[in-house]
Amino acid sequence: MLRFILRRLLMAVPTLVIMAVSVFVLIRLIPGDPASLMLGDLANEATLAEARARLGLDRSLPEQFAIWFGNVLQGDLGRSITSGQAVLPLVLQRFWVSAQIVLAAVLLASLVAVPAGMIAAWRQNSATDLALVGTATLLLSIPTFWLGLLLLLFFGLKLGWFPVVGYVHLSEDPGAALLYMVMPVATLFLHEIGVLIRMARASTLEVLRLDYITHARAKGLSEGAVLWRHAFRNAFGPTWTLIGLVLGNLLGGIAIVETVFTIPGLGRLLVDAIFGRDYPVVQGCLLFVAFVYVMVNLVIDLLYPVFDPRVTAE
Amino acid sequence: MKIGHALWLGLGLLASGPVAAQSVTVALKADIRGTNPGVNRDDDTDAVALHMVEGLVAYREGGTVGPLLAEKVDLSGDGRTYTFRLRRGVKFHNGADMTSADVVWSWNRFMDPKTEWRCLSEFDGRGAVKVEAVEAPDPHTVTMRIDKPNALFLDSLARTDCGMAAVLHKDSLNPDGSWKAPVGTGPFKFGEWKRGQEVILTRFDGYVSPPGDKRDGFTGQKKALVPEVRFLVVPDSSTVKAGLEAGRIDIAEIVDSDIPELEKSKNVKVLLGSTGGRHAVIFQTTDPVFKSAKMRQAIAAALDINQIVEVAASGRVKPNNSTIHSRSPYYSAVQARGVTYDPARAKQLLAEAGYKGERIKITTNNRKTAPSFNIAVVIQAMLQQVGVPADIDVVEWATHMDRFLKGNYQIMVHSYSSRFDPALSFEHFTGPKRSQPRKVWDNPEVQQLLEKAAAASDEAARQKMFDELHTRMLDEMPLIILFNQLDAWATSARVEGFTPNEGRARAWGVSVRN
Amino acid sequence: MRRSIRGNLVIGGVLVGAVVACALVGALWTPFDPLRINIRARLAPPGTDAYWLGTDEFGRDVLSRLLAAAATSLWIGLLTVGFATSLGTAIGVLTGFLRGWVDRVVMAFNDALLAFPGVLLALGLLAVFGANKYGIVLALGLAYTPSVARVVRGTVLSLREKEFVEASRVMGNSELFTMARHVLPNCIAPLTVLATSMFGWVLLAESGLSFLGLGVPPPAPTWGNMLSASRPFMAQAVWLGVLPGLCISLTLLGINLLGDALRDRLDPRMRGA
Repeated sequence: MLRFILRRLLMAVPTLVIMAVSVFVLIRLIPGDPASLMLGDLANEATLAEARARLGLDRSLPEQFAIWFGNVLQGDLGRSITSGQAVLPLVLQRFWVSAQIVLAAVLLASLVAVPAGMIAAWRQNSATDLALVGTATLLLSIPTFWLGLLLLLFFGLKLGWFPVVGYVHLSEDPGAALLYMVMPVATLFLHEIGVLIRMARASTLEVLRLDYITHARAKGLSEGAVLWRHAFRNAFGPTWTLIGLVLGNLLGGIAIVETVFTIPGLGRLLVDAIFGRDYPVVQGCLLFVAFVYVMVNLVIDLLYPVFDPRVTAE
Repeated sequence: MKIGHALWLGLGLLASGPVAAQSVTVALKADIRGTNPGVNRDDDTDAVALHMVEGLVAYREGGTVGPLLAEKVDLSGDGRTYTFRLRRGVKFHNGADMTSADVVWSWNRFMDPKTEWRCLSEFDGRGAVKVEAVEAPDPHTVTMRIDKPNALFLDSLARTDCGMAAVLHKDSLNPDGSWKAPVGTGPFKFGEWKRGQEVILTRFDGYVSPPGDKRDGFTGQKKALVPEVRFLVVPDSSTVKAGLEAGRIDIAEIVDSDIPELEKSKNVKVLLGSTGGRHAVIFQTTDPVFKSAKMRQAIAAALDINQIVEVAASGRVKPNNSTIHSRSPYYSAVQARGVTYDPARAKQLLAEAGYKGERIKITTNNRKTAPSFNIAVVIQAMLQQVGVPADIDVVEWATHMDRFLKGNYQIMVHSYSSRFDPALSFEHFTGPKRSQPRKVWDNPEVQQLLEKAAAASDEAARQKMFDELHTRMLDEMPLIILFNQLDAWATSARVEGFTPNEGRARAWGVSVRN
Repeated sequence: MRRSIRGNLVIGGVLVGAVVACALVGALWTPFDPLRINIRARLAPPGTDAYWLGTDEFGRDVLSRLLAAAATSLWIGLLTVGFATSLGTAIGVLTGFLRGWVDRVVMAFNDALLAFPGVLLALGLLAVFGANKYGIVLALGLAYTPSVARVVRGTVLSLREKEFVEASRVMGNSELFTMARHVLPNCIAPLTVLATSMFGWVLLAESGLSFLGLGVPPPAPTWGNMLSASRPFMAQAVWLGVLPGLCISLTLLGINLLGDALRDRLDPRMRGA
């Protein structure tokens, strides 16, 4: 087991290095310059050159990369160009904010969507199936920036149940923090239900077709028993993997929800950093996201045998 | 069901209960970049900082310069020595008296390259002037000597992006000399900065305001009436709208497309003004198609600027083809002259210019804070009408700035930020392209005239030169200035005494009704 | 059972057929020029004069824009899905079959790409290739390729030990033949599900990118950028958002139903069931 974990971590190293190089190259291929963005159109040429030199942007690209990567190896991700904050604590702090919302939404969505998907598969092609798939597709096809705003206008503005702007950290005031989290979590939840129902349905269908289910049915086990004892446990495995993928993707896609609900999270940080050409933050964020992604999938793989008795981690 | 309802009701009360009474919440589009004035900044950062710190002089309404921490400013006969007499009794947030020693200390700190003051090159001889000596002959007097007479010296000191060359107390720094937090003389004190979320400022009870009973730009009556102001980061304009309606946001800059809807709301007041920011169509005069002035004039004649304003600013500002704002004392009858919409003449000019139907590319950006994209869409349609096919190339802001700075465009819809003095305003787009590719108007004669205007201090003489520059600009048409930036703000119904001010929020003089 | 599969097939087929028909019409003819602005008729509600579905904030005809957008959106969806599935399948089959160091190197790249947020990829590629729809296709296509590669590789890995693949090899068939004859057909079922879901993701991702200011550059309409541009007018002109949203929903529903039905037909294990 330990050897498996170590090997997986070792295998992640080349992925992270490739990631680091490509992020570095890509963000610098994009036109635009953090110094000129910072100074706006009021600066003269001397000020601009000075700012560029201060940020080290006047050096050659390989030189810049060597400096940055050398620092990363020593655990220093640099400082933000826009705010001057150290990148690592900044990323960690914002990540925690996003992770709370994503985890809550995905957990709730799995609890609802996985059984729903299984029921849909079990009653394949019935009216129930069509209704579930239809609902899932409808939810899936409302972009989060629309869904979020609808919730905001209805529950926040019209009914006044939840605050429409602002954010409170969980550590400051847990009660208020939960109140601020309801709408963003609900937005992601509704969206992810759509994704997960379809996935759970597809993987259950796969399982239901397998021989041993037919055997189980032939043995005269009740449908409930077949579904619970055989289908559910076996179908949950692949769905679990997909939940891992969803978690990873969400970290990239949460920027929209964070924009609508004024949440100081990682997604917003990344998008702002990209638009502001805040190179150290973009690089740090993405390296971190890649790392989290690797870790999440490792954990998912380690837990896989718990859900799927056919597979062992080794 | 009933219990559920009661629970929701309970939560609802929690959610909509009164915000800390008397506190005013101002929406910011993005988090501030720092609290160190004039170092790492953007417009919102300046706006927040200028609640806490003040300079010797400041912009008044309309863009002239007036005293702030100074009581009086005298200029010596040779035009090189400025004497600032400081207002008495002014205190820093930590209770210390503000004296000439603090002014000198602050100035020396700004002039130290380690401070990374963005305006350093304006004062160390690389730009227009070199400040040779700053002295404190007595605790209430400061003198500044510059190398040659310059009409724009006080203007530069007042610049908001330079942090007003603010007078700070030594306690603003850590013992090792690094920046801590502003200890200034402004009407509000620094409270807390929750990064990515909000900045909280509290009223400075020991504040001594400049005389007068009215606010006047960044000077005049500056007393704080509310005990606390919170600058809350709200990036999405639709969320801002909902926040205003719900009474969770008290003051916010709004986008022009939201004006009609918010004006109908009973919970919200809309306040409109215009800033010195200029929306313009700029030509690359080295482009084969736009080398000819006739061609550029043809485009100008094809544009119905009233309609552009209708779409891009909900018709709430007037077209202005001058680089000088209509509130400026330099806005003469000559400056009011502009381009006229005449499609027939446009077609005739196109023919005279030898235009052969080349496709034109209009470059612009999709920034939500400026109507550039909307302007481009309308212009595209208007050019179509006179037989000029055009494509719109929309890029995001950083890419737009890159192309702007490199002069990499054919036609660009661009917005110049506010520059109050007409000479600085012309300088924004006038200059040699070879050393400054961002410049649009490259004409040595014009350049000379502009330099003369910058050095002159006689107002009548300057007026004549600015009028000549405007006439020549319309003649050569290196760019078409369309209209000034709409300064659109909304406040919740309980707020009183707020007025727009050059796109910068002002919380002093604002009170709330309960 | 059979009849209802056909039911899905029919509903899905009709929906997709209708959308494709709209796209074809939109590519050739629209009632108005979708880019023509009419300043006097801005935000006109549906049914005003000749504007059956109303106008947008520039007074452009919404029906014409929806039709033109159908063509653009479907084209982007098709190209992206085609790009991602072909590249992903190639990578998946190759690595699954060859294994060894090729597998390890390619999969390291694959995983790096998988962890790469689409926003940055889109911004980068748009900047490098110019802001046009092919930039989006490339960005989203590259973003989805790794998932396809993973799914295909997984299927190949599980198949290569199966008896019939082993048998084909023992019979002296070349690796290439074995792959084409026995392995690829078994990938079709999972790929159909993935590809149909992906089509939906593309339409949505394009819309999300527009919201963040990175989508297909306006003024050329896509359902995604229409939806995103409609947001400030949610209260004043709700049709601006609902109509393109409905187009996306119906297309997605049609494609998903069709995809499920096709999967059931194509899946070798389902044949004759």
